[in-house]
Amino acid sequence: MISQIVVILIVMIVAYLIGQWRHFSVELSLFFAALFGAIAGAFFSTPHWSEIFRHLVEGSFTYLDIILVFSTATIFMTILRESGGIDYIVHSSMKALSKIRPLALLVLMIIVLIPGALTGAGSVSLLVVGAPVAAALRHLGISRPRTAAILFILAGLSAAAPPVNIWAMVLCAGTAIPYVGFELPLGLPVILLGTFTIFTLGWKREKNGPDEVTLAKVEAFLGMSWWRVVLPFIVLFGLILAYRLWPFKMPVLGLPLEFFLVSIIAWLTSPKKLPFFPISRETMARLLPLIATMVVIGMLQQIMTATGVRGLLSYLVISIPIIVLFILLAVIIPVSEGILTYGAAAILGIPLIWYLDSLGYHATVAISGLSLLWPLGDGLPPTALIGRLSVMVSNFEGSYWSFLRRTWLPWIVITIVGVLMVVFSHKLSFLVRWSVG
Amino acid sequence: MIRIKIVLLIILVIILTISGFQLYHHRHYQIPIVAGPGVTRVLKLSHYLPSLKGSMADTWVFFLEGQEPGGKVLILGNTHANEPEGLLTALVIIENGQVEKGTVIIIPQFNHSASRFTRPGDGYPLFFEIPTSWGKKKFRMGNREASPLDQWPDPDVYIHYPERQLLSFLDARNVNRTWPGRPNGLPMEQVTFAAMELIRQERVDLVIDIHGAETMFPVTNCIVAPEKSAKLATMVSLTVKAMEKFDNHVEPSPPKFRGLSHREIGDYSEAMPFLLEAPIPFLDQPTGPKTERLLLDGRDPFLLRLARKKKLFVPYDETGWPMDKRVGQHLSVTLELLKQYSRRTPDRAIVIHNVPRYAEVVEHGVGYYFVNPSTVSPDKIYFN
Amino acid sequence: MFKIIMAFYYLITAFIAALIFWNFWLEKKKVDRLILYLLVLIPMILRLLRIK
Repeated sequence: MISQIVVILIVMIVAYLIGQWRHFSVELSLFFAALFGAIAGAFFSTPHWSEIFRHLVEGSFTYLDIILVFSTATIFMTILRESGGIDYIVHSSMKALSKIRPLALLVLMIIVLIPGALTGAGSVSLLVVGAPVAAALRHLGISRPRTAAILFILAGLSAAAPPVNIWAMVLCAGTAIPYVGFELPLGLPVILLGTFTIFTLGWKREKNGPDEVTLAKVEAFLGMSWWRVVLPFIVLFGLILAYRLWPFKMPVLGLPLEFFLVSIIAWLTSPKKLPFFPISRETMARLLPLIATMVVIGMLQQIMTATGVRGLLSYLVISIPIIVLFILLAVIIPVSEGILTYGAAAILGIPLIWYLDSLGYHATVAISGLSLLWPLGDGLPPTALIGRLSVMVSNFEGSYWSFLRRTWLPWIVITIVGVLMVVFSHKLSFLVRWSVG
Repeated sequence: MIRIKIVLLIILVIILTISGFQLYHHRHYQIPIVAGPGVTRVLKLSHYLPSLKGSMADTWVFFLEGQEPGGKVLILGNTHANEPEGLLTALVIIENGQVEKGTVIIIPQFNHSASRFTRPGDGYPLFFEIPTSWGKKKFRMGNREASPLDQWPDPDVYIHYPERQLLSFLDARNVNRTWPGRPNGLPMEQVTFAAMELIRQERVDLVIDIHGAETMFPVTNCIVAPEKSAKLATMVSLTVKAMEKFDNHVEPSPPKFRGLSHREIGDYSEAMPFLLEAPIPFLDQPTGPKTERLLLDGRDPFLLRLARKKKLFVPYDETGWPMDKRVGQHLSVTLELLKQYSRRTPDRAIVIHNVPRYAEVVEHGVGYYFVNPSTVSPDKIYFN
Repeated sequence: MFKIIMAFYYLITAFIAALIFWNFWLEKKKVDRLILYLLVLIPMILRLLRIK
C-alpha cells in the first residue's frame, strides 16, 4: 500500500510541475495536482472512479467560510478606499504622530495586531487596516517592499496573538486539550517579536517622497470627515467585541455578515456617490487568485486524504528522531503551511502534539511555539496567502522575492523563539499557570 | 471565447450534477432502525424542547422499559457521527435488548445533523456497509460536527455557555462541547439542552456517551469519568479486564475542560456520566487512504510501523482494531456499568437481557445482531 | 434569530456568486481565469442549492 501512495504523490508533484512549466497559474497547477492525484488514486480504488468528482467538489468547501470573509472584508476596504477614507485617516493620524517616530511605529503595530488577534486571521488585519497602515508607513519614509515585509510579519503575529489563534484552536480541538492558558505563552512573544520587527524594519527613514502625494490625495476629497471613516470601524469592532462581552445575549453574526454590514455603512456614509456593484465586481476580480487558491487547496487536501498521501506525509514527520525534528520544525512547519494553510495544523500538528505530549513536553507551550512558526508559512509559495495580501495592500509592484527577503531578520528570530518554546516548553509552563491565574 | 465559456459551463454542470446527486443522496438517505421487542415507547428529542421540532437536529429517542420500576440509563450514540461504533452499539441494544427492571433510554444518533454530512477536506467515504446474515446493512458516514446546512455561520470563536470558556469555532457545531446547552442558543446548544431536560425530567441515573478515539490519542480505549462516577468506572474497568480480557482504563474528566458530556452532565444534573472510548484507527492522521475498509477493520500499515516504534497508546498488530471488537467492548462496558450500578443501588437497579457481550460480538460479528427490516411490520421501523 | 442570520448568509453567498459569474462572463482573454472562476463557483452553487 505504501508504494501505491508514493506513486500517487509522485503523480501529483509531476502534474504540478508540468502546470508550472506550461506557465499555468499556481492555482491551476495545484488543481491539476489534485485532479491527477485523484485519477492516479482511482487505479487503486482510492478513491473509486465514481467518487473523483465528489471528492473534488467536497474538498472545494473546506475553506468556503474563509472565502466569504476575504470577499466581504475586501469589498469593505475597497469602498472605504474609494470614498477617500483611508487617505484621510493616514493624513490625520500621521500629522499628529509622525514627529515621535518610535511611538508612531508602536501605534501602527498595535493597530495591525488587533483585528487579527480578535479574529485569528492575519488576512483580516491586512484587509481592514493594511492599506491605511501601509500608507502611514510610507509616510514615515519606509519603502514599499519594507512596508510589505512589516505588514506580513505583523499580520502573521496578529493571527498568532490571543485571544483567538486558529492554529492553536484546531490543535486543541483535535487533541482534546482545553484552549485555556494561552494568553501569556502567545501574547508575550507576539508583543516582543512585533516590537522587534517594527523597530528593525522600520527604524530607518529611507526616503521622504510619499508625504506630499498622500496629502495631495486627501485634499481631493473635501467632504470626508472623521465620523464617516470611523463609524464603520466602530460598528465592526463593536459587533466583534459585543459577542465577546455578551456572548449569550448577542446572536452569532459571523465575520462575513459583519463585514457586509459595515461595507453598506461605509457606502452610505461616503461623501461621494460610489457604484456599489461595479466596485464589488472589480474587487472579486482582483481577489480571484486568492480565493481560487483556497478552493483548490481544499480539493488538494481532500484528495491527499482520500489517497493516503496526507497520511504518508504525517507519518514521515512523526517518524523523525526528536532532535532532528526540533531542527527541522523551522522548515517543516512553514513549508506545510505554505502548501496546505490551516490544513497543516491538523495534518502535521495533531500527531506532533500527541507525540510531544507523550514525551513529557508541555502541550500548551509547545502549541504556542508552533503557532509562531505557522504564520511564517503564509508567505511561502504555492499559497503565500498573507504574503500576497501584504504585497497587494502595500501596492508593491516588484518581485515577490524582493519583498520576502526583507523579512529575513524577524523570520529567523521568530523561528528561534518558536522552536525554543517547544524545546523548553516544560520550563516555560509557568506562563500557562500565570495566564490561568 | 463565447464557445469556450459555454463548453466550460457545460463541464461545470456535469461535475455539479454527478457530485451533487451523490451528496444529496447521502444527506437524504434513511437508515431503517427496527424497534426490537424491548422497545416500549419512541419519542423525538423535540418532546423535551419543542423548538427542535421539524429541524435536522431533531432525532429519535427509544425507551426500553421493564415491568418492574428501577433506575434509568441514557445511552448516546453518534455524539460524533464519524465514530460509528456508538451508533452500532446503540442499534444492537434497541433491536435486541429486553428490560426486566428499570428503563433504558437510547438516542442512537445524538447529533443527527452531523450524521448527514462529511467534513470537507477529510476524504471520508459517504457510506459504509455491515455484512449480516440477510445481506448488507448500509449506513451513512457522518462527521464530528453538525452540517453547516443546519447551523451557519460559525462564530469566530465559540464561547461556551455558561462557563465562557473559549473553544474552537468548529466546536459550536460539536455536541460534545455544547453541554449543558441552552434553550434559545445555537441549534447544537438546543440539542444538548433538550438532552439535559430529558435527564432531569426522567430522573436519569446514568448517562453513557459512546465514542471512538484515535490510537495516537492518549485518551483512548478507556472510560472517561468525573469524580462522582470514578468509583463505578474503576470497578467496571477491573471487571472487564479480569472477566473478558480486554483493557479499558479509567481517565479522569478534567474539571477545567468545559462543554463535554462527562463534565457538564455530572455538574448540571443528578446523573453520573461516563464517556466510553474505543480505538478507531480511521480517525488517526498518519493512515493510508480513508476507505470504508479502514473504517471497518482498522488495519493500517503506517499505524503498524508507528506501533513498533511505540508511538501509539493502544496495543496494535496486523489484526488492526475491527469494528466488531470496538462495538463488543462498548456493549460489555455498558452492561457491566448497569450491573455494578444495580448491585450498589438495588432500588434503582436496571436489568437488561438479550444484549451480546464482547466475546459474542467478536465471534459472530456485529451484523449478526441486526434485524432484517423487511421481516418486521412497518410500524416497528423508524427511519433516522 | 439564527434562521434570519442564516438566510443572510445565503444572500451574501448568492451576491458573491453573482459577482463571480459576472466576471466570468466579462472575461475576454484568459482561459486560465475562466476555469478559476468556475472552480470558485462550485461550493457556492451547491451551498445555495442546500446540497452541501
